[in-house]
Amino acid sequence: MRLLVIEDERKTAKYLQRGLEESGYTVDVANNGVDGLHLAVENHYELIVLDVMLPRLDGWGVVKQLRNTKETPVLFLTARDDVEDRVKGLELGGDDYLLKPFAFVELLARVRTLLRRGPVREVEHLSLGDLEIDALRRRVKRAGQRIELTPREFALLYLLATRRGEVLSRTQIASYVWDMNFDSDTNVVEVAIRRLRAKIDDAHALKLIHTVRGMGYVFDINEPD
Amino acid sequence: MRLSLSARLALIFSLITVLSLSLAGVVLFNALTHQLLGQGDLNLELKVRHLRQLAEELDSDAAVRDHQVRFIALALDDPTLALRIETAGGTVLIDHDPSHIGMIALPATPEGGQAATGPVQQWATAGTVPVHGVASMATLRDGSELKISAARSMSDEARLLDNYRDIIFATVASTTLIAVVLCYLFVRHALVPLRAIAASAQSITAERLDSRIDVSGAPLELHDLVQSLNEMLRRLQHGFDRLWQFTADLAHDLRTPIGNMRVASEVALTRTRSATDYRALLASNIEECDRVGRMIESVLFLARAESPQFALRRTEFDAGEELQRIAEYFEGISAESGVHVRVSGSAKTYADRELFRRAVSNLLANALRHTPRDATVSMAAAESAQGASISVQNPGEGIAAADLGKVFDRFYRGDEARSNSDTSNGLGLAIVKTIVEIHGGTALVRSDAATTVFELHFPAFRDGVAAGSS
Repeated sequence: MRLLVIEDERKTAKYLQRGLEESGYTVDVANNGVDGLHLAVENHYELIVLDVMLPRLDGWGVVKQLRNTKETPVLFLTARDDVEDRVKGLELGGDDYLLKPFAFVELLARVRTLLRRGPVREVEHLSLGDLEIDALRRRVKRAGQRIELTPREFALLYLLATRRGEVLSRTQIASYVWDMNFDSDTNVVEVAIRRLRAKIDDAHALKLIHTVRGMGYVFDINEPD
Repeated sequence: MRLSLSARLALIFSLITVLSLSLAGVVLFNALTHQLLGQGDLNLELKVRHLRQLAEELDSDAAVRDHQVRFIALALDDPTLALRIETAGGTVLIDHDPSHIGMIALPATPEGGQAATGPVQQWATAGTVPVHGVASMATLRDGSELKISAARSMSDEARLLDNYRDIIFATVASTTLIAVVLCYLFVRHALVPLRAIAASAQSITAERLDSRIDVSGAPLELHDLVQSLNEMLRRLQHGFDRLWQFTADLAHDLRTPIGNMRVASEVALTRTRSATDYRALLASNIEECDRVGRMIESVLFLARAESPQFALRRTEFDAGEELQRIAEYFEGISAESGVHVRVSGSAKTYADRELFRRAVSNLLANALRHTPRDATVSMAAAESAQGASISVQNPGEGIAAADLGKVFDRFYRGDEARSNSDTSNGLGLAIVKTIVEIHGGTALVRSDAATTVFELHFPAFRDGVAAGSS
């Protein structure tokens, strides 16, 4: 899948390109709005990651002109967190909005969501290794043993399991599981993960919940490298 | 055109002076005129009576003509007096007019019938000198009738009045001028304290906010003004001090994570490390970055919340349900630290739900940090006509009375050593207070040796206006 990153800060652009390429995307980079718009119109991209503050033509201008011909999804990046800015970006035809500084896993999650186009499918039954999750009856079994989880613990496990292999940041987890949409200094998520592990993983040699230090958590059979 | 206060006052004062002096002048002038002319007319009438008495002692027209000198003698004391005596048939017997007044035919019969003389007539000679004249009928001994007319030019009186008018004009003009000048000077003098205030205000800069305007030299009317200005300065100084302290604290708190990153990276680079070590370093750097990021987010939030454009997205919800949700959010932490969280009550609340959660989460996180193991934190919601009250109560050491006023300050931490700066950036409670205040509510804290209670009050909403906000 081919993505376009329009970002004037060269260091940021370089790392975005590298990170996205390592996540399996083909990435083109433009360092100003005019070049970016040109590339976006001439080529076919699945998604454009667009910085708002750009030389020559700013992000608003790019998306406005782009929408004359194309419907490529646009993820705005900005350092300004004004509600009006956010509204303006979405009104002009942006599809999502990410505030700098952001966690890369967050960006990756947004990119994936935009590319998926549509809500996450509710899965009724999930299993990984000897873990089984029955979403309808909210029951969890490991190695045939029933595990009692609180509603929030279940929600956390379900989130990790449906995003198998994907690193989820603490902010994402707090938002999905508890609907808490602000960064807090508390280690609520770490503690919740620790407690979930105690119930799911501690008694078993095969660990399913893994910590990616500094980034978040991932649910998979193999530990991420 | 904008006039100075002194000029304006002088102008108004001079207007008042001119008007009142002119009025006085006109009144006095009229009174004098009346007096003078009345006196003249009276003299004229007396003169005519005199002449009539003289005539009525005589027998006939011929006698009158013979005694012409006696008649004229009566008029000689006044060279402006003219007299004419004529028969009823119109034959002029005596015509004395030394100053050429030019006698006219005067009515000799009184209007009311009472007086002996006719009404006083006024006219003017060719030289526009005003003339008053009066006439009377006299009956001679032989029964024939005579008409006696006397007229006087009022030139003396007119001159006097002219003079008098000139004096009045001059007096009004000069007095006004003096009044204006004096007034201007007085006002300028009276405004000296204002200039002094302006001068001392000018000397106040951001660096010298501790100076105050001297109130003792100011006149009574300006005391309030000076005191308000000083009060404003005090508030500004307080704000500046807080801002300065805030900046210093912020810089200090940013220094720690940045220092950590730098030192850790430097140490790692001094020799070749294993991939695991590098990974650990990078992860640690990300954690420090997150810390800086959160701090920036908090500071920006506080700055934005104080701007008037900050938009609240208010909805109505039950505070009790939200407390329950927040308690659930913290259930792991509270279970690990062996603290129970009890939630009770419900309250219809009209607030921005995100911000409400943020405020209460900060309170609960704070309470959990300070509660000993096996104790219970109580969260309660209560509704009243004034709005919703949320309280978070925790047992623990309590906050010293001296520090109670500071707990909502930015970067305030219970311990001076900032030992917990990695888990709390010291902005949590400041954010709580800001959130409540932008809802028009209040945040309070009470503490004794055993318990600390935080109370948030969100005002009720009536007709789109927060009841508690002003």
